[in-house]
Amino acid sequence: MRLELGDILIKDVQFGAKTEVKDGVLFVDKDALAKIAGDDERIKSVEVFLARPGESVRIIPVKDVVEPRVKVEGPGGLFPGFIAGVEQVGSGRTNVLKGAAVVTTGKIVGFQEGIIDMSGPGAQYTPFSKTCNVVVKVEPIDTLKQHEHEVVVRLAGFRAATYLGEAGRDVKPDAVRAFETKPLLEQAKQYPDLPKVVYAYMLQTQGLLHNTYFYGVDVRQIVPTFMYPTEVMDGAITSGNCVSACDKNPTYVHQNSPVIEDLYTEHGKTINFLGCVVTNENVTLADKERSSNMTAKLVEFLGADAAIISEEGFGNPDADLVMNCNKIEKKGIKTTLITDEYAGQDGGSQSLADSTPLGDACVTAGNANEVITLPVMKTVLGYPEVANVIAGGWDGSLAADGSITAEIQVITGATNELGFNYLTAKTI
Amino acid sequence: MVKEIERHGFPVVHMCTVVPISLTVGANRIVPTVAIPHPLGNPAMEPADEKELRRKLVKKALKALTTEVDGQTVFGD
Repeated sequence: MRLELGDILIKDVQFGAKTEVKDGVLFVDKDALAKIAGDDERIKSVEVFLARPGESVRIIPVKDVVEPRVKVEGPGGLFPGFIAGVEQVGSGRTNVLKGAAVVTTGKIVGFQEGIIDMSGPGAQYTPFSKTCNVVVKVEPIDTLKQHEHEVVVRLAGFRAATYLGEAGRDVKPDAVRAFETKPLLEQAKQYPDLPKVVYAYMLQTQGLLHNTYFYGVDVRQIVPTFMYPTEVMDGAITSGNCVSACDKNPTYVHQNSPVIEDLYTEHGKTINFLGCVVTNENVTLADKERSSNMTAKLVEFLGADAAIISEEGFGNPDADLVMNCNKIEKKGIKTTLITDEYAGQDGGSQSLADSTPLGDACVTAGNANEVITLPVMKTVLGYPEVANVIAGGWDGSLAADGSITAEIQVITGATNELGFNYLTAKTI
Repeated sequence: MVKEIERHGFPVVHMCTVVPISLTVGANRIVPTVAIPHPLGNPAMEPADEKELRRKLVKKALKALTTEVDGQTVFGD
């Protein structure tokens, strides 16, 4: 399966009479976008704002971030199972408005949403301070239940991103990147001397507003399955959660997974990248055992010499990570794990809820409990008072002057476990 | 908490869903429960059946509490 991504570089976003891309500027017809995003009887109102890198703007609470893309060649369309039908995606050509993003906000759903600051110290922690953001503020009708509220906002974000993506349909991309994974036996033969690597892609599926979808199916309901890595670039995996926003993967991060892109960079040079095993993080022990058994079985069946395993979230999913590691390692297949840490505000506590001596190669995306003060911003899009209730904040996080003191857990993508973040460490 | 209370000489039963974590942290008496969001209940059951489930789990925990163990023990079905 071969997919080309045509990157149309977006350096600015502005409102305009017509939605179009001209000379690297995305012009947005505000009313048309609001109408399409709000096309759901469960939505009371939609407002659209722009937030550019460097501006004194805070977006709170952030629910999802989505990259505008459009399928220009090949079967299917973006966000299969939600926007497009369930045709197989991941081949042909997809154009990308690289540098633009849809950010959804609005009344809080639960306790789970994040913060994006476009400037100041907070901006250094979130990758979405560097994108030209089209902020879609969605207010549902008053009678909506919480879980439906989440669905409504999620779908509004996908509709908005699909609408904006269409503006890139006939634009000549600034650059084209190609990614290819062949059917297994052919792929194994293509680079016979290179170590074969499989990526075990763990997705957050605890329920209660922690959900992820694969072709529209709640991943909690699947048994682990194979995915060509390019499928995710067309929106095969979408986010329905941002509980502890620092380490949940917004849909944008799935579309741009650094793990997959980096594995492709090495594909044919140092490794033979065979593909992905998509798995879940469910809430019963039997589910955890079953899914880790099947993940290990699939990784072995695919003929891997080594596997990368990434976690989404923390706490009980640490047990899924450890089970996947143990079971894959015991089949004689090397693993490297990607996680983040909840080591306390002083960094002195145990980082993960579970552990294993077989997990001897582990990459961390940072300590989510670190405390930061986010200074006042001139403009706040959304509801700043939720800083007192979102995960990582506490009663009193929002000061009278409008600044926020909280754990970096509140910042969207701060310790992203696919490595889509900026935290680094150095040995001294 | 399990370990600190035991350190003072009181036996403890850890009722939990993710048994491997309980084993890693060193609990001695472990009773497996239903699911992480609802360890001692099951919203999918009828109220009467759920009450029976809860009663069984508590009885199992009380039995575990009064059982001598030699190292970490999981009280399964």
